[in-house]
Amino acid sequence: MQNAKDSFYMALRTRLVAINPERTMLLRGAVRPGILVEEAEAPMSQPPSDVFVLRWLGLGIDTDISTSMAAEQCEIVYQTCGSQSFGGLDRGRALSEMDEELTAMIEPYWTPKLNYAATPPGTMLTKVFWEEPSFAPIQIQRDRLLRTASVIVYSYQEQGE
Amino acid sequence: MATTWYSAPAPVARRVRGYFAPVNRAAQTPVLFDPSEQGGFSLDAPPTPWMSLGWIQDFSRKSTSKTTAVLTGIPAAATEQVRETLEAQVSLEFLNWTKLTMALATGSQHMNLLAPASGTTPSADGAQAVSAVTPQSGSTATSIVLASSDAAKFLPGSIIAADVDYTGQTGYVGSPVAGAYVRQALTDVDYVRRVTFNVALVASVSSTGLTLAEPLPGGALQPGMKVQAVSGFVDREGGSFYQEWSALFVVEGSQGERVIFNYPRLQSMTGAEEMAMPLNSKNQDWPSRVLLKAQFLALPVTDPLDGERVVCYRSFLPAANALV
Repeated sequence: MQNAKDSFYMALRTRLVAINPERTMLLRGAVRPGILVEEAEAPMSQPPSDVFVLRWLGLGIDTDISTSMAAEQCEIVYQTCGSQSFGGLDRGRALSEMDEELTAMIEPYWTPKLNYAATPPGTMLTKVFWEEPSFAPIQIQRDRLLRTASVIVYSYQEQGE
Repeated sequence: MATTWYSAPAPVARRVRGYFAPVNRAAQTPVLFDPSEQGGFSLDAPPTPWMSLGWIQDFSRKSTSKTTAVLTGIPAAATEQVRETLEAQVSLEFLNWTKLTMALATGSQHMNLLAPASGTTPSADGAQAVSAVTPQSGSTATSIVLASSDAAKFLPGSIIAADVDYTGQTGYVGSPVAGAYVRQALTDVDYVRRVTFNVALVASVSSTGLTLAEPLPGGALQPGMKVQAVSGFVDREGGSFYQEWSALFVVEGSQGERVIFNYPRLQSMTGAEEMAMPLNSKNQDWPSRVLLKAQFLALPVTDPLDGERVVCYRSFLPAANALV
């Protein structure tokens, strides 16, 4: 299951770089694409703004088929206060931009499954695939707009996983 | 040693893609599809002459063939089975409205509403049309060369139909797809352009002609073809013409495997029908998307491999590394 989670994150990260290379963040002293996995970073009181944060939640396993299938719920949280140059008055536009980027990142709805524990990452036998995201209503926290999108990510459990 | 295979469960698919190609009605020749050679085609670029109709919804197919047992002995017992009738049906919903999807989803001929001439008598399927213009040499599938006075009669964003004048011929008419069957000679010189599938959107107009947003289905204009503006489409409940097409339905699984249903001959079998699909399934009061519902009867072809009569081929192209 970890391989599927890693593959999903890396697919979105690669696609984000192509869609909007300017969406970056400074994290642990390095400039990286503006997307991170919450459980793989130090605990934070509030997710960073203008960055996509992947949060893994629910898990289901279907063992009634020849190769077990895992269904993992990924919540993608993103928020923005808009830009300083506009005094935050463009926060609605900034959130719409992130909505569009996420919609574009999600397609196509599959990616090859890779084992990122190996160097270089090893291509596995199956693919990871997922559903269309379901977008929750905007949450308003003072001058901050926050949106959560939920995606169910499916993968087959290969031998040795 | 690392495992290089896995046991693949049943395909998991999001949607079904539909592709259609015209049957040569006069010669009764369907379009062949070879899954061994063409099965891996890019879903966005089907092999010629297949035309993509995009994603379809509620695809279902059922065999209505009947078999019966041959009984012998006392008491009678089945010793073998024979196929009494051979028949299958396909139904689906198109997610977009185009000339082709409308035509496929109607049980009769589908017509172009030619732009009317001024002061003509109204007609339910389009009044007398503005005269067609004659293209000049050098026209291609996406560019129509016209005299400047003729080009000025068209606007960017308009639709055009290109085909020959009707000159009293009977039988199947329309190019590249038979759009109607004429039983007795008619008097409308524009009749072939009323039923032709050779239509396209005009992207831009210049003093030398039209640039089309999409290629004409019939390719470069043939000698004798003329061009007319189209303002929309119309079909009728009734009539004696049945659309007949070769069809491909492709189900692509999550692991890249493909199930391909090839119906060499499909005839529409019901009149025009629409389905309303609410945009929000939890709130039926929301606006609804109007889908075109189509139902087809599969007709048989004789398989040259062994002379058997069949109505459908189902192919399965397994995913890479999957056990078979």
